[in-house]
Amino acid sequence: MKINQKIFLQFGICVIFFGLIGILINNLTINLTRTGLGFNFSWLFKPASFALAEHPLPYTSSDSYAWALFIGWLNSLKVIASSLILATFLGTLIGFTRAGKNSLLGLISAGYITIIRQTPLLLQLMFWYFVGFLGLKDNIFNISNQGIEFSGLIFSSEFLALLLGLSIFTSAYIAEVIRGGILSVPRGQWEAFRSLGLSERKGLISIILPQALPAIIPGLTSQYLNLAKNSTLAIAVGYSDIYAINDTIINQTGRAIECFIILLVSFLLLNLLITNTMEFINRLILKSRKYS
Amino acid sequence: MEPIVIAKNLTKSFTKGLRALDNVSLTVNQGKVLVVMGPSGSGKSTLIRTFNGLETFDKGELNVLGIKVDSTHDERKIQKIRRRVGMVFQQFNLFPHLSILENITLAPVQVQKRRQIEAEEYGMYLLSQMGVDSHAKKYPSQLSGGEQQRVAIARALALKPELLLFDEPTSALDPERIKEVLDAMRRLAEQGMTMIVVTHEIGFAKDVSDQVLFMDSGKVIETSPPNIFFSNAKNERSRKFLNQLDNHYSES
Amino acid sequence: MFKININSIIFIFKNLKKTFFSNLFNTIITLLIILFISAACFNTFAWLMFKANWKVVLSNLPLYAFGSFPPNEQWRPATWIITLLILSIFTLCGPEWKWLRKNLLKAWVGTIPLGIYLLYGGFGLSPIMSRHWGGLTLTILLTVCSSLLSLPFGILLALCRQSSLPLIQKLSSIYIDVMRAIPLIAVLFFGQLLIPLFLPLGIEIDRVWRAVFAFTLFVSAYIAEDIRGGLQSIPNTQVEAANSLGLNQYQVIQFILIPQALRIALPALTNQSIGLFQNTSLMAILGLVELLGVGRSILANPEFIGQYIEVYVWLACVYWIVCTIMAVLARHLEQRMTINKANF
Ligand SMILES: Nc1ncnc2c1ncn2[C@@H]1O[C@H](COP(=O)(O)OP(=O)(O)O)[C@@H](O)[C@H]1O
Ligand SMILES: [Mg+2]
Repeated sequence: MKINQKIFLQFGICVIFFGLIGILINNLTINLTRTGLGFNFSWLFKPASFALAEHPLPYTSSDSYAWALFIGWLNSLKVIASSLILATFLGTLIGFTRAGKNSLLGLISAGYITIIRQTPLLLQLMFWYFVGFLGLKDNIFNISNQGIEFSGLIFSSEFLALLLGLSIFTSAYIAEVIRGGILSVPRGQWEAFRSLGLSERKGLISIILPQALPAIIPGLTSQYLNLAKNSTLAIAVGYSDIYAINDTIINQTGRAIECFIILLVSFLLLNLLITNTMEFINRLILKSRKYS
Repeated sequence: MEPIVIAKNLTKSFTKGLRALDNVSLTVNQGKVLVVMGPSGSGKSTLIRTFNGLETFDKGELNVLGIKVDSTHDERKIQKIRRRVGMVFQQFNLFPHLSILENITLAPVQVQKRRQIEAEEYGMYLLSQMGVDSHAKKYPSQLSGGEQQRVAIARALALKPELLLFDEPTSALDPERIKEVLDAMRRLAEQGMTMIVVTHEIGFAKDVSDQVLFMDSGKVIETSPPNIFFSNAKNERSRKFLNQLDNHYSES
Repeated sequence: MFKININSIIFIFKNLKKTFFSNLFNTIITLLIILFISAACFNTFAWLMFKANWKVVLSNLPLYAFGSFPPNEQWRPATWIITLLILSIFTLCGPEWKWLRKNLLKAWVGTIPLGIYLLYGGFGLSPIMSRHWGGLTLTILLTVCSSLLSLPFGILLALCRQSSLPLIQKLSSIYIDVMRAIPLIAVLFFGQLLIPLFLPLGIEIDRVWRAVFAFTLFVSAYIAEDIRGGLQSIPNTQVEAANSLGLNQYQVIQFILIPQALRIALPALTNQSIGLFQNTSLMAILGLVELLGVGRSILANPEFIGQYIEVYVWLACVYWIVCTIMAVLARHLEQRMTINKANF
């Protein structure tokens, strides 16, 4: 294509695209003025006047919407970080048993993986919350109304159900990533360390895993990103994460567009945080390899 | 005699300073076979790819089948040339998702707007010419390299081209498969097809070609009839290259 | 995922002693596992047979299948689901008649207008509003419509992202990256809320189609990335070969690039639609009574209060079965379409 033609084509598409956006925004302003809302962020500093069951920092209902959103952010981070750790631990364990030598264990973890991966996360979360924590409250665990006390810290049943549900769901995916990584290491490497007389466990940790990591890290990153996005299902069990608080605010104030933007920015930041951390870890691994 | 390709002072560089083509001029007349030889990286592929517009050039003029193109690389003229020029690649480049017959009928139906049935009939005729008609329903991955390359030749013939370009058509083949492809090319030459062939097959060049063009570092070093080129090359570099080829063949 | 083939089972039994009882540690583990599994099996069995009260499932079967669709019209969604089932079975183990095989794709695409016609009614059937749609029927409808709409949209986005026109490339990159950064529930929720705000006065889209639209916007970004992966793995020599045959840019895209990219991306694409099927459950907390929504509304009924386990286990089974059917179909399709990598 000639350069002139290219510019012309792009120009044409731009006109159509921005024309369409213009029409949409026009409709939007008409609708917003009709409902008398307009578009601004000054409401952020008015008192939120809703209570939050769970707040890592002091919060009362007279605090501002902005502060409530910040608390939501912290709650999200809390559940994401803790399920990330638990899921990685569980997933690695299952991934290893799946790729390992004991066929019975392998069969069980294969079963675990299909059951978890072939049912919706939302259903699993509801199951853990209503059956695991609310249902068993009175008989098995001695759960107080506040939650479970664990070495001085009190965890709400909402948090625990979410943590358990997210971790178990994500672990099934992480297990497949780990297994894929282990299988990507050539068989010769296994034979090599066995012939050197290394034990199975030692060989796995010191020979196989380091070679599998480059294949594992990208898969892990995308599972962590999914975990972060899935954590918004918190609303189904009544845990006040960033999405749930946005939802409450919209119901109170009707500020859908503004809240959408806030949520969008929150998640772009969260994604940046996760990808950058994983990239940092990846670089550390590569570096430690070079020197070894 | 009508000239099919006239190239004048073609010059091209991919990276600054290094010329893939350096003032290349040549003429190929109708019904003639030109063999292009030269060491790897000398610009043979680049040269024949300019003839159907797969590569652009920076300076010079090119006239293919009476259509003139220059360094502006007019898309519409290139398109006209491509409909009348066939090309066969080193790696066959068949379309893996289409059956053998579909590979051949795609261009006649879509480019020349011929009817499907007509294109299929002619495609089957070409396949039988190439001796691969029994594979028409199969997919490329089910064929051997030699068979794939013969299909690729049939595909190039399906548009009834007036010029065929070959870029090392036998280099990717097992030694025992080379002959079946070269034989097919020989038959085409006998039927009077105009061909430009990049190859290191000395036997083929000796028997079939009318001219041998030797390139090095993007320059045309020598153009001679085969009997002169192979027995008594004018240029020092050509002789050296032929010596190396001989050594290579006596080794293997 | 569930490749437990016969050979490996035979292998396990042949090496029973070697794998399970090779040393003391393995023997103990094996015995413990067997103990644990038998206990778990026994308990589950006892619960399933004696303790669980399956009335909550059995007496509500039509509700799970069709939602609040009027009872004397329920043959309509039933016909649709049975058609889909028969088509699945036929695709998997039907005879190899050529003309039938060729028209199979058309038959699959045709099930969508058929489904919509059967659900909406009109033309001889009594019309039924979309708020009466529900249960598995709605879940399947959401999945099928959104998958099918997001495929062309995803292809378009992928092509734009690969385009040589910088502006178009940038716009589609931004769209894809942003969509992939936000959670699905946010897209669905704001889809329900915002779509009406962006439409001119007087035009309304009902909840079901708003959901389909939001799912399409979301899934097409993921599909675009899968297809882009496919496009990138097609070697440039394919384009050169097509160009040298005189095919123009659009013909190359249509006949060479898209078919190959789709084949390469097929496993990823089928995973997307299985994921989509599971994710339609999110609509349960956004006001549609699809399969999970039916479960929730039944649990809210005083007659069945507290019977969480029965309902959730039942729903999990239904989701699992449909997902498995989809996965088996997908694998069948992949095997039929496998192209030899050596050819690239
Ligand atoms: N697409 C390309 N980009 C950059 N350099 C290229 C490209 N194609 C070829 N070249 C360079 O041009 C020169 C000639 O290459 P080519 O025509 O392929 O040689 P031959 O076919 O004789 O082996 C080489 O130095 C090669 O590195
Ligand atoms: Mg070459």
